[in-house]
Amino acid sequence: MAQMWITMGPQHPMTHGLWTLRVKVDGETIVDTDAELGYIHRGVEKICESRDFTQITPYCDRLCYVSAMTWANSYIYAAEDLLEAEVPERAEFIRLISAELQRLASHLMWLGAFGPDIGSLTLMTWCMRDREMFLDLLQELGGSRMHYNYPRIGGVKRDIPVGFADRLIAKIKLFERRIDEYEMLLDESTIWLVRLQGVGYAKAEDMVDAGVSGPNVRAAGVNYDVRWAHPYSVYDQVDWEPAVEKPTSVKGADCYDRYRVRMEEMRQSSKMILDAIEKIPGGKNTNYSSGDEMILTKAPTRAPEGATGFSNYECTRGASQFYIKGGGEGRGKNPYRLSIRSPMFITIPYVAETMIGYKIADIPAIMGSFDPCIGETDR
Amino acid sequence: MGMKVTLEQSNSAAESCVAALNERFSGSGVESTVEHHSNAFKMAFVRIDATPQHWLAVAKFMKFDLSVNYCSMVTGTHYPDGPAERGWEVAYHMMRMPVSNVVPHTNTTHIAENLSGDDIPMEFEVRIAIEQGDSPTVPSIQSLWVGADWNEKETWDLVGINFEGHKNMHRVLNPHDSPDEFHPLQKQHKLRYHGHNEMYDDAQGFGRKPADEGRNK
Amino acid sequence: MSNDGENFAAFNSRALVEMVGDVTDEALKATKVKQFLSVLAGRYFNWAGRKSLFTLHLGIKCCAIEMAAAATPRFDGDRFGVLFRSSPRQSDVLLVNGPVSKKFADKIVRLWEQMPEPKYCIAMGECAISGGPYFQSYNILEGVDTVIPVDVYIPGCPPRPEALIDGFGLLREKIIRIGGAPSTGRDGEKPIIVGED
Repeated sequence: MAQMWITMGPQHPMTHGLWTLRVKVDGETIVDTDAELGYIHRGVEKICESRDFTQITPYCDRLCYVSAMTWANSYIYAAEDLLEAEVPERAEFIRLISAELQRLASHLMWLGAFGPDIGSLTLMTWCMRDREMFLDLLQELGGSRMHYNYPRIGGVKRDIPVGFADRLIAKIKLFERRIDEYEMLLDESTIWLVRLQGVGYAKAEDMVDAGVSGPNVRAAGVNYDVRWAHPYSVYDQVDWEPAVEKPTSVKGADCYDRYRVRMEEMRQSSKMILDAIEKIPGGKNTNYSSGDEMILTKAPTRAPEGATGFSNYECTRGASQFYIKGGGEGRGKNPYRLSIRSPMFITIPYVAETMIGYKIADIPAIMGSFDPCIGETDR
Repeated sequence: MGMKVTLEQSNSAAESCVAALNERFSGSGVESTVEHHSNAFKMAFVRIDATPQHWLAVAKFMKFDLSVNYCSMVTGTHYPDGPAERGWEVAYHMMRMPVSNVVPHTNTTHIAENLSGDDIPMEFEVRIAIEQGDSPTVPSIQSLWVGADWNEKETWDLVGINFEGHKNMHRVLNPHDSPDEFHPLQKQHKLRYHGHNEMYDDAQGFGRKPADEGRNK
Repeated sequence: MSNDGENFAAFNSRALVEMVGDVTDEALKATKVKQFLSVLAGRYFNWAGRKSLFTLHLGIKCCAIEMAAAATPRFDGDRFGVLFRSSPRQSDVLLVNGPVSKKFADKIVRLWEQMPEPKYCIAMGECAISGGPYFQSYNILEGVDTVIPVDVYIPGCPPRPEALIDGFGLLREKIIRIGGAPSTGRDGEKPIIVGED
């Protein structure tokens, strides 16, 4: 049978972003793939060379827009490495709570986009409805539903409001029952299981050699999580375990394992938030004013030539890293070079390779299960 | 409680890596040191200052003897006002972590505090200084780690550093029809409205017409 | 039956239909009935069109998430008739929700040209209006209105889903006014910006 290239072009309801996936098919089977990125390349690395360090935080929010808080935190840790700033413990707890809330919202967005790909349109409405709960909480902290500009170098912008803790605990407890509802809907559905199991195998060592990290690797049975391997913040003081799946095949993790890892991660994040809000130093119902030393320490604003900062952070989709070199314009007020490592930039070409051998109908399952977000890919 | 790799483990792992590197590459211009971050728990990492001639040997040593798993990030920087021996710099960040394929229906459960030797997760930062000039070149490590492939493409696309031995180099982020010598992160290209220099004619791309213009769609 | 030349004896139904059509058209024009019918039909099509604006399934960047949120239970754009279609040939509205890069500029113009008239364009978010925070970038156009005529601007970064629904409401009012005017003939219109009172 003749082979032909099909373009799943930039505008496509299923690609979760603007990128082109060209597949070469022989009948229904995929024989070769070619991924093209760069449709929303904004040149953030160049723009940041003429911005102050605090002005860069909003740009990092907009890198991966579904998990904005984690990307802003990732940049702030690199800036703190560069500028040698200390962070008070209460601020670290607040950062942990905000990052885990964002992780919940991001995984719900993933599930809300992944479900319709497989055919379950109900999931879109359910997940977005639950995501609104967490967006309300993040709005109380940061001021906006999506781009918060919340962490500062040396702490956070403002403290948790009075009453936030009660609302947080109530919503998380409600959400833990909702995860059971999702699993009841999906794990008992034959269509879901048939479309996800046995599709998109990826072995742990191959994934790591390609640079994939995060939940995709944990689905293959490897317990690697930047939160304990290159530790930061107060993750060692809260009660949690990395969510690791047991793959059912020697060929590695399939789409079903990647879906289960994220459901388990949602449970672990809920546990972490409930524990952290009880252990927060200073109490969960006190509200310190902005700039108070409990939540923010004064940090230097200039970095000399030769200083570098590096951060390794567990974003929702993998390990994100920032590498900043000091000594830029404004006598060191701007970075000389800011380099961003996005986990999805490495994963999407790897996913394109993984698809070879499966059918066209498996493309949404495989692509969606790796959770692509093109905002961070194209920077 | 959440577990974590301790500072002592990190220090000991970094020191043993640096000792192995210095023993292997002493006297060849490749220097390795143990550095510490200034954020979070002040963990240790290995910093290697290598030369383009020895880079491939260092990379092979890292992969086979130090069990570095993946090449995480490649950063190219342009120093037009720098010293003669550092006109460009390529910084590689590599990671090591304990990973192996698992038997079905099992998973590896590391206890962080019990990891030892080559199993301790470690960060490696390799900085390669290239002398001033118009065509900086560094040997490519595409054959060693799959993750280096697209990272090197991006570095060439944005900064203009050539990777010798890299197969199938092409633009990944900029449009495919960008001018050949256009590498936006070089310092002679300025931002729009920042000193009012445009990067090349038709900065808005108005003159570009779609390939199928005029056809009935 | 001769095959060459015209066969005047044959019943040519096409010519008959054309002749009847011409005569009726002249009669309707003379009695102004045609004008009356066009006004009625125009009003009907406007009503039908603005009550069901099919939007193209295009998600460029962050504002696409707010667009998705506007379609979900809390804000529910579907009760206003806003439905998302995958193909540009079946959609009325091109909702541009992110910065347009040079690589994507050709494609978005092509999507716009593939949409049949009457079509409308909404620029959502700062990046689509003027390039947003990336206005200095080497790869981003300063606003989608450099390549496509825009009808409604929705400022915000990202605009709340309520602002997007308000933008659709203002677009509906514009459709009442200009109805089936082709997108190339709307240059004289004052730009509509959500939030401007």
